[in-house]
Amino acid sequence: MSETDVIQEKSDARQKNNKKEKKQTEKSKTDGATNKLSSTGEDKLTEKQLRKLEWEKRLAEQKTQGNVNDVKEKLSKSELKAKRREQQEAQRQAKTGKDKETVINNVITEVKQVSPDTPKSQNNKHPEEKKSPVKKSVDIKKAKPGYVQLVQHLYREPKLEYVSKVVNSKEVHPVFVKLGVQYSEKVILGSNARCLALLSAIKTLIIDLQSPAKQEFCRYMEAVLQTCTNYLQDCRPFAVSMTNALRHFKVQLTHMDKNLSDNEKRAKLIDVIELYINNDIKRAWDAICMKVNAKIVNNDVILIYGCSSLIHKILLEANKSGKKFSVIIVDSRPLLEGREMLRRLVGAKIKCTYVLINALDFVMRQATKVLLGAHALLTNGSVMSRIGTAQVALVAQACNKPVLVCCETYKFSERVQTDSFVYNEIGDSNLLLSIDTSSTASPLVSLKDNTKLSILNILYDVTPPDLVTAVVTELAILPCTSVPVVLRINANENM
Amino acid sequence: MEGEKVQEYFQKITNEETDVSAGVAAIRTLMEVIKLSQSETVQELETNLKDAIHNIKNCNVPVAAITSGCELFLRFITLVGMDTVGSFRDCKQLMLDRGNICLKKFDEARGKISKLASKFLIDGSKVLTHSRSRVVLQTLYHAHKQNKRFEVFVTTSAPDNSGRQMCKELQNIGIPCTLILDSAIGYVMEQIDFIMVGAEGVVESGGIVNKIGSYTMAVCAKEMKKPFYVLTESFKFTRLFPLNQQDLPAEYKYTTKVRESVDLKNAHPYVDYTPPSYITLLFTDIGILTPSAVSDELINLYL
Repeated sequence: MSETDVIQEKSDARQKNNKKEKKQTEKSKTDGATNKLSSTGEDKLTEKQLRKLEWEKRLAEQKTQGNVNDVKEKLSKSELKAKRREQQEAQRQAKTGKDKETVINNVITEVKQVSPDTPKSQNNKHPEEKKSPVKKSVDIKKAKPGYVQLVQHLYREPKLEYVSKVVNSKEVHPVFVKLGVQYSEKVILGSNARCLALLSAIKTLIIDLQSPAKQEFCRYMEAVLQTCTNYLQDCRPFAVSMTNALRHFKVQLTHMDKNLSDNEKRAKLIDVIELYINNDIKRAWDAICMKVNAKIVNNDVILIYGCSSLIHKILLEANKSGKKFSVIIVDSRPLLEGREMLRRLVGAKIKCTYVLINALDFVMRQATKVLLGAHALLTNGSVMSRIGTAQVALVAQACNKPVLVCCETYKFSERVQTDSFVYNEIGDSNLLLSIDTSSTASPLVSLKDNTKLSILNILYDVTPPDLVTAVVTELAILPCTSVPVVLRINANENM
Repeated sequence: MEGEKVQEYFQKITNEETDVSAGVAAIRTLMEVIKLSQSETVQELETNLKDAIHNIKNCNVPVAAITSGCELFLRFITLVGMDTVGSFRDCKQLMLDRGNICLKKFDEARGKISKLASKFLIDGSKVLTHSRSRVVLQTLYHAHKQNKRFEVFVTTSAPDNSGRQMCKELQNIGIPCTLILDSAIGYVMEQIDFIMVGAEGVVESGGIVNKIGSYTMAVCAKEMKKPFYVLTESFKFTRLFPLNQQDLPAEYKYTTKVRESVDLKNAHPYVDYTPPSYITLLFTDIGILTPSAVSDELINLYL
């Protein structure tokens, strides 16, 4: 159930941003009621009817709004919810042992969700109540043939129209508009770079912001920042690093002394950001560099994957200290970030080997250590990182090579995730069809609109803790399982 | 206190009192250094202590337990420095008092562990142990006192053959004991119920540093699906994260003499590192821990 709980948390968090808050609270109340085991059969019926009504009402509303993008996104959410409810009900009924037929029906409908092509069962007692949400979501799935079933909930509409709409808005500061485009076009890549860019944009916002006469600066700032970040979220979901940095800033914002003048507040807020960049990010890098350097010895062969700013820094630092080692850069399509890493390392006169991930097993035998960057470290010790990292860690484990994940503590997340599908990001699927290295166009390009073909370009994966030897943080070299302890300490410090 | 005197004092304790582990001996030596120190400032005293620690480490003994014990002791003192207001003399007295409390705790540790671990020894069980460990010995003794009937296998544990002494001590107590060859670990593994070993140091990953051969035993035990229990005092927890055997610092693996004289490639290491995945449970004076809990405790202690 932990996965569905995560989904619930996620959707709840999104709901907070939703304008229709009243209804959401109603919904969550009914949600809470369904969670309790005490409800009788009759209650269930009424609840279901209620939910169905609500759901239809929402759907109608969204349709009238005509905003196709929004409908798409919310539908997938509600569909998730429906799925969750079905599961909960199935469990509850299995527990009470009542109404066995409906249990079977539930199971069948669930099975259908997974494979919608199978014919629908006829012996359903409450066809309307049971099926309505499922049926509709199936319709939607059919409407979007290019989508991969398993990760339906992750798809986002291309935001180009939305971007052009917001450019003219007075609410969003131009710096954020620019940043949003850079995020969605992947000009700024990597969770560190993205976080730094966000912080510098906030700094510009602080300087430029003039609060209206009657409004307190910080409150106004909060409101403006909210619209800005909402816009950014639409361009590309936040990285964990960004969420953590933003949370830190917001806490400082709300605790600001109200008696200061606007300029003093500005100076203080800028200080807050600069301190964060210095202490939590840059000093962390230095500390991690030192710790990893202590582990690198002469004649080491270090295997790295993709391009990580931190790993780059570490290797340069180790090279500077006069250690003799070589690097194997493993790269993967479609982003081929490893090339940039190769360019930089060769520029620093480090001996490099460059292979694609297909050759991983072959080169792993020669490696002595594996260094990996991370997008986030989750509470159960799993490492979330660019797609392919789990594979590298798995092969390293199979060859008994120590795997070191380098991760600053500001990337630690309270989330728990056991697989890569609950929360992830989907990239441009066209990237998989074209091959930029060959002179002739890829034969796959013509298949782009083929309805039988669905392409999945997923951006992150989750590496289970038992594949990782140690996590190097600025505090210490730790086993993955110590993440909750560090989170607890950090939480205590911030209080 | 002069460097040689420190070493002398330390060696006197380790030689005369066989029941005292190296870590405790080191701490007692440091206490003595504080007592005899002529220094007038805390800063100076700290430098003295650091010099003394360096000297102790060069005493031609493996340093695993010494390092962690000394680090803990220094930590104790730096913390004292911050919250005292009185004169230097008061400060010194406070350090000594706290040092004594510390030592008392360490003394009690072994009793606590043997109490916890002896519950795992039941009638008819066959235990395999490696080398000579004081805490394992006391646990077995404790269980024997409770009239439990069990059998022990002890490895000879080359190069110092400390297993022989262990076997003799067990037989003196009256526990049936068999001495086996180091190379017979695989042979006896199928007939034993579980393994109990001590540790020279517990590292941050939750793994242990112990007499050479422990890793072999752990790997073998994992393959034969026998529980591998480690009995160790919590002052042996060290802030060190070895990635593999190679990554273990040379001062852990070799004595000072060896490090200075021979090419290390040809030298026999004295200890090895057993990764946490091979360890079932650690019995310590702060409770029975899983390997991952060790790191949590260390974070709480040092961060």
